[in-house]
Amino acid sequence: MLMLLALHLVAAALAPALVHRWGRWAFLPLAVAPASAFGWALGYADTVREGRAVVEAYPWVPELGIELALRVTTLSWLLVLLVGGIGALVLVYCVRYFDADEPGLGRFAAVFVGFAGAMLGVVLADDLLLLYVCWELTSVFSYLLIAHHPEQQASRRSANQALLVTTLGGLVMLVGFVMLGQHAGTYRWSEIAARPPPPGGYLGIAVVLILVGALSKSAIFPTSFWLPAAMAAPTPVSAYLHAAAMVKAGVYLVALLAPVYAEVGPWRPVIYVTGIVTVLAGGWAALRQVDLKLLLAYGTVSQLGLLVVLVGAGTPDAALAGVAMLVGHALFKAALFLVVGIVDRRAGTRDLTVLSGLWRRMPLVCATAVLAAASMAGVTPLLGFVAKEAILGAFRGDPPLLAALLLGAVLTTAYSARFVRGAFAGRPPPREATPTRPVETVLLAPAALLAVAGLVLGVLAGPVGETLAGYPRLFGSIAHPLTFVPASGLVLGLSALAQVGGLLLFALRTPVGAVQARLRAPFDGDTAYQVLSRGFDRFAVALTGATQRGSLPQYLGVILFALVLVLGGALLRGPWPDRIGVSGNPLQAVVGVVLGVAAVLTVRARSRLTAVILAGVTGYCTAVLFVLHGAPDLALAQFLAETVTIVIFVLVLRRLPARFSVRPLRRSRWTRLALGVAVGAVVTAMAVAATGARRAPPVSAEFPGPALSFGYGRNVVNVTLVDIRAWDTMGEIAVLVVAATGVASLIFQRRRGPDRPRRDDLPPPPGAERVWLRAGPTLRTRRRSIVFEVVVRLIFHTVVLFSIFLLFSGHNAPGGGFVGGLVAGLALAVRYLAGGRHELDQAAPVDAGMLLGVGLFVSVGTGLLAMSTGGEVLRSSLLEPELPLVGELHLVTSIFFDIGVYLVVVGLVLDILRSLGAEVDRQIEVEDEPGTGLRTDRPAGPARQAAAGAGAPDAPGGTDSESAGTDSESAGTDSGVAGTEGRR
Amino acid sequence: MDLKLPDIDYAALAPILVLFGASLVGVLVEAFIPRKRRHLTQLVLGLLALTGALVAVVLNAQDRVVTAGGAVAVDGPTLFLQGAIVVLAGMALMLIGERSVQRGGAFVAHAAVTVGSPEDQRQAADEGGATEVYPLTLFAVSGMLLFVAANDLLTMFIALEAFSLPLYLLCALARRRRLLSQESALKYFLLGSYASAFFLFGMALVYGFTVGAGGTGSGGGVDFGTIRTAVTDSAASEVLLFAGLALLSIGLLFKIAAAPFHVWTPDVYQGAPTPITGFMAACTKVAAFGGLLRVLHVAFSGASWDFTPVLGAIAVLTMLVGAILAVTQTDIKRLLAYSSVANAGYLLVGALVLSKDGLSSTMFYLVAYGFTVLAAFGVVTLVRDADGEATHLSRWAGLGRRSPLYAGLFTFLLLAFAGIPLTSGFTSKFAVFGAALDAGQSWLVIAGVLTSMILAFPYLRVVVMMWLSEPGESTPTVSLPGGLTAAALMIGVVATLVLGVAPAPLLDLANGAAEFVR
Repeated sequence: MLMLLALHLVAAALAPALVHRWGRWAFLPLAVAPASAFGWALGYADTVREGRAVVEAYPWVPELGIELALRVTTLSWLLVLLVGGIGALVLVYCVRYFDADEPGLGRFAAVFVGFAGAMLGVVLADDLLLLYVCWELTSVFSYLLIAHHPEQQASRRSANQALLVTTLGGLVMLVGFVMLGQHAGTYRWSEIAARPPPPGGYLGIAVVLILVGALSKSAIFPTSFWLPAAMAAPTPVSAYLHAAAMVKAGVYLVALLAPVYAEVGPWRPVIYVTGIVTVLAGGWAALRQVDLKLLLAYGTVSQLGLLVVLVGAGTPDAALAGVAMLVGHALFKAALFLVVGIVDRRAGTRDLTVLSGLWRRMPLVCATAVLAAASMAGVTPLLGFVAKEAILGAFRGDPPLLAALLLGAVLTTAYSARFVRGAFAGRPPPREATPTRPVETVLLAPAALLAVAGLVLGVLAGPVGETLAGYPRLFGSIAHPLTFVPASGLVLGLSALAQVGGLLLFALRTPVGAVQARLRAPFDGDTAYQVLSRGFDRFAVALTGATQRGSLPQYLGVILFALVLVLGGALLRGPWPDRIGVSGNPLQAVVGVVLGVAAVLTVRARSRLTAVILAGVTGYCTAVLFVLHGAPDLALAQFLAETVTIVIFVLVLRRLPARFSVRPLRRSRWTRLALGVAVGAVVTAMAVAATGARRAPPVSAEFPGPALSFGYGRNVVNVTLVDIRAWDTMGEIAVLVVAATGVASLIFQRRRGPDRPRRDDLPPPPGAERVWLRAGPTLRTRRRSIVFEVVVRLIFHTVVLFSIFLLFSGHNAPGGGFVGGLVAGLALAVRYLAGGRHELDQAAPVDAGMLLGVGLFVSVGTGLLAMSTGGEVLRSSLLEPELPLVGELHLVTSIFFDIGVYLVVVGLVLDILRSLGAEVDRQIEVEDEPGTGLRTDRPAGPARQAAAGAGAPDAPGGTDSESAGTDSESAGTDSGVAGTEGRR
Repeated sequence: MDLKLPDIDYAALAPILVLFGASLVGVLVEAFIPRKRRHLTQLVLGLLALTGALVAVVLNAQDRVVTAGGAVAVDGPTLFLQGAIVVLAGMALMLIGERSVQRGGAFVAHAAVTVGSPEDQRQAADEGGATEVYPLTLFAVSGMLLFVAANDLLTMFIALEAFSLPLYLLCALARRRRLLSQESALKYFLLGSYASAFFLFGMALVYGFTVGAGGTGSGGGVDFGTIRTAVTDSAASEVLLFAGLALLSIGLLFKIAAAPFHVWTPDVYQGAPTPITGFMAACTKVAAFGGLLRVLHVAFSGASWDFTPVLGAIAVLTMLVGAILAVTQTDIKRLLAYSSVANAGYLLVGALVLSKDGLSSTMFYLVAYGFTVLAAFGVVTLVRDADGEATHLSRWAGLGRRSPLYAGLFTFLLLAFAGIPLTSGFTSKFAVFGAALDAGQSWLVIAGVLTSMILAFPYLRVVVMMWLSEPGESTPTVSLPGGLTAAALMIGVVATLVLGVAPAPLLDLANGAAEFVR
């Protein structure tokens, strides 16, 4: 059996090459693949008649329990015959059906053979997962076949629809399979069927899920709509997929499961309701069609419903009728589709209001059609009659069902008549017979063969029934064997009634048509499909619009919302600390209120500057809280860091709009407010929970003693920084260096060539002319405040000295390298703010990078030195050298480490001032000057030389008014004037 | 107090060390090799380093050790995932190194150039891309290798940052659509920082929780062994455990792009250079899930009754969000981003099954998905017009006519995403869902299958668009791939096929590896 599948695979792979070489005649060799399946099945006819199974199994994915298990029993044997035989005939038919220059024929041939292989796989598979695999493959192949004319929109749409409905159904079915397989511990159907089924509800769900897949594949209500739409496919495809093969997969699955699960609760209601509705609705709709192919399509829908009812009923007689009908339907429907294809290709239309007199022009085609249609209508002794009689016999005991099926038979007869008459009958004058082209034998032979087979098998009803009896016997013993001789009068009467009723309905087609025009189905699967798919589309669009706007605040909001949910949920589970400590200091409450107000005002601020300053206030308030709590060192550091932060913020804000962009809408504002409050509450709760959960004494409680005995200092905070946790500090200053470098490299744009980035911003070498207030020659008058400049200039050195004092005193009193560095940095910042960038250069005539590097070097060096003298890295030792004049010095080595920290912090502040301050200043100045872009910001070489030649000091800013106009930095009248003023 | 150095099994750490060393060498190459020769040097160095790391992983295959003072665990899952990351990173590096599809490669020459300036246009037109991407990628890969091996939360955090920071940078380096690229990097960075902060916060709380283990006063720890013991017998308040676990999970879920922490994904996937997007989609996912698996299986398995419902709900939400939002996407990269979100949901289903089956199926899924998604992004890099990649879906209409080969490959990959049989997508989904069913998580499986159905819709739409629409004026051409892209593409496609047809060897490997050392 595996060889059969492989043969199909090879044929499909070769098909494009064959078609390329032989054109449409390549369909003949390709037909060998399905024909060999047919032949193989015939060879096993005896085995099947004896009720034995043919089994082959190969392991595939043993880890997941997937294997290639193939098994043929009566039912699957029958389907192999149909799939293989009709497949071969349709391929032969294709030779003449397609024009020689049909585009995409190679792909079509490959996909068609591939489909035949997949379909064969469905019926051969014993492993449910393999069945599922082939099942979905048939969906994909059928999709490609339906969309054979991709340039037509209808073709694309219907292909899509068919694919969606059937694959989605397939996925649902897979869930059912997995449920069954997991329970049974195997996916081999033969084994699952042999084991006791799982208990009630579980099994019910699994069965319904599988039925969803099966019924959607067979176009049973409410998914019937895809089948008529799929008629956009070329006719051979319709004949094969939509009559003989693919739509039978669902019927096959129902038939496969019925012997085991027919007694499960939801099985029969589902089968009967959907089946009967499909029978009636399909037949009724077929009566309305004017397109021959659509007429057949609706007829197919109707008969698929019938088949599902038969094989799903779960009685031996119904099952026998079902397999007979399965064969009969495949034969006559495939023949009829092929006939429609002939009519379409040779008469140029398949509109039954246009066709006329074809019975004269193509009598053999007409005879074939009549034979097949008669089988469809159930005329004795054709196979259709045999099946119908078996049906009526099987449901004799169930009058309501019988009535419904009888009504279905009436409709079938009516649309059979409509088909024959519409396609072949002549029309009254003045209509002339439709012109046709001759019909080749190769085109007609397959259809004729199928129609004749219906007759032959009808006559051979007895042997056929015996051959197929293996399947119905799974349900019990057969009461009414197949025969074309009516067994009982009642059945014969009913059968005749159906014929007469159908003909009557056909005769009354005009009034019936009027009724049909007025009658509208209250529920239409196609509309529902469209409403669903469109609604889903719209929902998805709305959801995307609501959640994915690309707005960072919104994204953050989503994450914070989840934080509130997840973390809040975790916190709510408790347990909570028994008591929450409250500070006794009322001043803390006051500060807290101020802090809160400042925070609220920050959020409400519209101007960026206000917001920054108010945020700073919250920081200062925190520092005050530290003071009140007795942590002066922390408070000092917090104050200074806050101040430096504000300065940096202000420097950056210069380049941003003064106010925040448009305020958010009222509604989103409230949402954000609520979210903010919620996050605050959750984080507070977490802080309370975390601090309340402390059980061990804090490690810091042990710090003061060792701080003095090992670190030789009484300021525990500082000793912690430079000794106990010196590794941390080391890491932090390294990060500071990296951050400073990062800021600088972002602001100083990359230049290529030998120019080193910051070389030009170094201050000039002490030249001939030293000015006390550098702002004089360099700043615009409007920006200057002489008093500020002078005061700053006067106190600068004092502040720097103070910072050094803080650095050295830090070991025992509040202070330390970090605080000292911040103070020195602030001194520089003030110099810069007062006098501009050249003033800054004068105040700190060093490269910031140098400071950073030296600082890091000193710190690391201290640590290494300690190691090289035999101690541990970064360990402090006490040095008490005697110095002349000064006396004994109390010197802890960690002070050198702290000096390194000091230098790094100063370097960081300087670096930020240089980049965010001075460099941005320069860029602003350059932008203000018209005609120069950022790239030409350097003064051109010749201009600079000219400036130098004119005796101007070699300052980067070009302080001389003579150089104005050539030197970009002092360009503009204002600075020129400023220059002169500075001179005076 | 002597500084006691922990014993370090250098052989076990060799894959990480090789890559880390190679990335440092890469930095030196940037400094000392002439610009013209850097590209080739870096590429060869990178591929060699990855090969070396792979060899080291293979040589370690039988290792089951905890080393470096308990900070690193080299065991089955570690080695399996490290191997996966290295192989996938190799594919990604091929995409990154491709320069024949686009002049100068996919990366900007000078990242700091003002967008839209004449210089920017010049660099976009004809300058060779920045070669810093190679050391950055290698740094990221070595971080990922450490992340899946981390045996305590601190090491995990460091590894997390070690692979995140280079990724933030790499996202900003697209040659074209610079603003989009920079915006994506900024978003990724800012939100990623939040996630990292959550992770740290959670770590602190968990530490507090472990302090209570085995009676008051005993020292705590953040290594997984200590946490594991503490979860069962800590006397500390459980609120610390739950809050800590919640925060840790947020940090990890952000990296794996689970809803609602997925919000960055589409923007970043769209903005980042496509090879980097592929790298993130494949390798970051493997690494992040590797970490999550270890955290759940080793450290917190004792609390599985508490976290499974919450994480299960997140998994369902992730699948739903990924599937539903994928439906409306009009940009192929965003579509793949949402598909990646949905796949994170499926993986989460597997990760929640704390059994051997759950572990091995999740690991298999990670590998299978990585191959497919890298190949898919490889195809995306090829569909271009004069302005670079044509990612808008409408532009893909009729691609099947223009270039049947690549449209065919892409169709195959999409079918794999949709979980159609004979592709790795089917096998891996089957394995994960089967494991979840065995563990009684049928509600997750039902949600998984439902969302697979929804997700099939957008994939099929792309297929329809490529094959069944007429190519229009605006249909871009498909560039001929250079050898590197072609190789990566082929590896991905073949792996997708092989893992669909004959997945047994890899499944065996995953099964054999599916046990953590504790």
